[in-house]
Amino acid sequence: MNKLNNGEFSFSHETINKDFELLTRALDASISGIVITDHNLPDNPIIYCNAAFEQISGYDRKEIIGRNCRFLQQNDRNQPERQIVREAIINGLDCVVEIRNYRKDGTLFWNELYMSAIKDAFGNTTHFIGVQNDISRRKKAELALLQHQELMERRIEERTRIIKESEEYLASIVSTVRESLIVLDKSHSVLSVNDHFLKTFKVSLNETEGKVLYELGNGQWNIERLRQMLENVLPTNNPVEDFEVEHDFPHIGRKLMLVNAHRIELEGDYKDRILIAIEDITDRREIERRKDDFLSIASHELKTPLTTVKGYVQMMNRYMPENASDKFKSIVDKTSIYVERLNNLLSELLDVSRIQTGNIELHKELFDFDRVVKETVEGIQTATKTHQITVIGKATNSYSGDESHIVQVISNLLANAIKYAPDSPEIVVYLSLVSNYLKVSVTDYGMGISQEDQKKIFDRFFRVGEIQQRFPGMGIGLYVCDQIIKNHGGSLWVESEKGKGSTFSFTLPLDETEVPE
Amino acid sequence: MSKKILICDDDEGILDLLTMLLEDNGFDVIAEQSSLNVYKIIESEHPDLLILDLWMPVLSGDQVLRMLKNNPATQTLPVMIISASMEGKQIAVLAGADDFMAKPFDVNTLVERVKKFLSKEEMEASL
Repeated sequence: MNKLNNGEFSFSHETINKDFELLTRALDASISGIVITDHNLPDNPIIYCNAAFEQISGYDRKEIIGRNCRFLQQNDRNQPERQIVREAIINGLDCVVEIRNYRKDGTLFWNELYMSAIKDAFGNTTHFIGVQNDISRRKKAELALLQHQELMERRIEERTRIIKESEEYLASIVSTVRESLIVLDKSHSVLSVNDHFLKTFKVSLNETEGKVLYELGNGQWNIERLRQMLENVLPTNNPVEDFEVEHDFPHIGRKLMLVNAHRIELEGDYKDRILIAIEDITDRREIERRKDDFLSIASHELKTPLTTVKGYVQMMNRYMPENASDKFKSIVDKTSIYVERLNNLLSELLDVSRIQTGNIELHKELFDFDRVVKETVEGIQTATKTHQITVIGKATNSYSGDESHIVQVISNLLANAIKYAPDSPEIVVYLSLVSNYLKVSVTDYGMGISQEDQKKIFDRFFRVGEIQQRFPGMGIGLYVCDQIIKNHGGSLWVESEKGKGSTFSFTLPLDETEVPE
Repeated sequence: MSKKILICDDDEGILDLLTMLLEDNGFDVIAEQSSLNVYKIIESEHPDLLILDLWMPVLSGDQVLRMLKNNPATQTLPVMIISASMEGKQIAVLAGADDFMAKPFDVNTLVERVKKFLSKEEMEASL
């Protein structure tokens, strides 16, 4: 009985009642519920409970004493913890469990049960002492934490799934693209390439990824121009677009490539990665070249017989007998007009084809602009008896441009002025210098152009509906003029009022730096 | 004595037309379809002017022109290029042509230009 002697208690006849009362008070002062069950009585009934146990369970002492502890689980019988308790009782062992118990009012509380077996001198279990703590709050927090964790995990799974899906989606786009794509890190090693790259350049993924671009395929990508672009151009001009690279690859031959490069500038994992898109334009260029060749040949072959026809018609005029009938003269005149029309149509068609291909070449040289305008006007004046063309003003005697193209524009504007002002013979060409531009205006007093049509007349193949009936043509002339003026860095526009006439004007920059390359 | 003009074009129609036109204007005309014979004819006939097409089989007009301009014996012979090719003028100028007319040309303008050329020749010769 050392434990008892350790304190104030002597349990002598004189003090025993007082000592017991003190200990019972101590048990009642505990915030843990305490019960004692008697193992020797049937069904191990509770023979003692303290005040805290009443408090925790909501039962009165009189409702507790005599019952087995399992009454606290009410109908919640399938808890694995009950088995642990049962085994401890059978074997006379201590145990600790967290078990769901229910108060008298039916509400749940989590009970942390410390159960210890009390044995007699022979080692037989006589009693059990149960110390109980209501850990509902802790349990609730733990449960909430667990639920939160599960929720987070579910969310992460969902996010991962979405990211994976979107990665697969992007990857499928990238692999469908009919351009070669390469991703480089900042030291120009290949991080990834798409299928099209592998197919076009006949390489495998293994011999590509992780390698420095310039070392790929025994150095076949060590292309000086590409290297220069990546090392010198891209750092200051991001992104680089439509950079043309031509290279002779050992296995696949000569390739003409149009390269776009973009360095990622956003802070983060991808910073300084370089995306390269390569379009193989070898075939396209070849087709363009063949088209140009075809046009050259077509032009040549069609114009050669036309030259002969035109020449003979002119000679027919020369040899016209004095007494030739008016009818005959008119036939020769008309033949001459239609041969000229055929020639113009042919020239227009070839011009458009050349512009379409983007190959309208400027052959620039200095020429006396004013003189060329005057000569062009004279040329047209001699051919027209119906109209009087007047040139007013001066622009410049030294302009650098493609003389034949400028002549084409002026001729076209004059031809239009004559054509669309059949009843108003006066045409004025006005030359001037405006700031550092030269300006040419051609004014007629003919039928004019409606506001609506003014927007469209520079479009290819556009013809004003009612005009088509009276004045045949292809709707190419102004389109070509517009392109030519644009190629010289200038602009062409129209001011017109229906029924009163039109003024077509163009300006050309005298300052070379404003002319496109 | 009338001026002699050598015309070389592989197209027979053009040759006929120019022969008729220039003879009509009082010139002696030698018409030749093959560019390979041009040099030989110049050597034997000493024309005053050569009218030359560009696109011709075997030996092109600009090749002929370069040969003539690189040869001291023929470099002073004035050459007028006539061509239906889109790049004709550039090719002609680069090869050293003295004049150029695009096909289809105006016959009256061509005659005028030829006359101007040959009168200039005459003036220079008389100086």
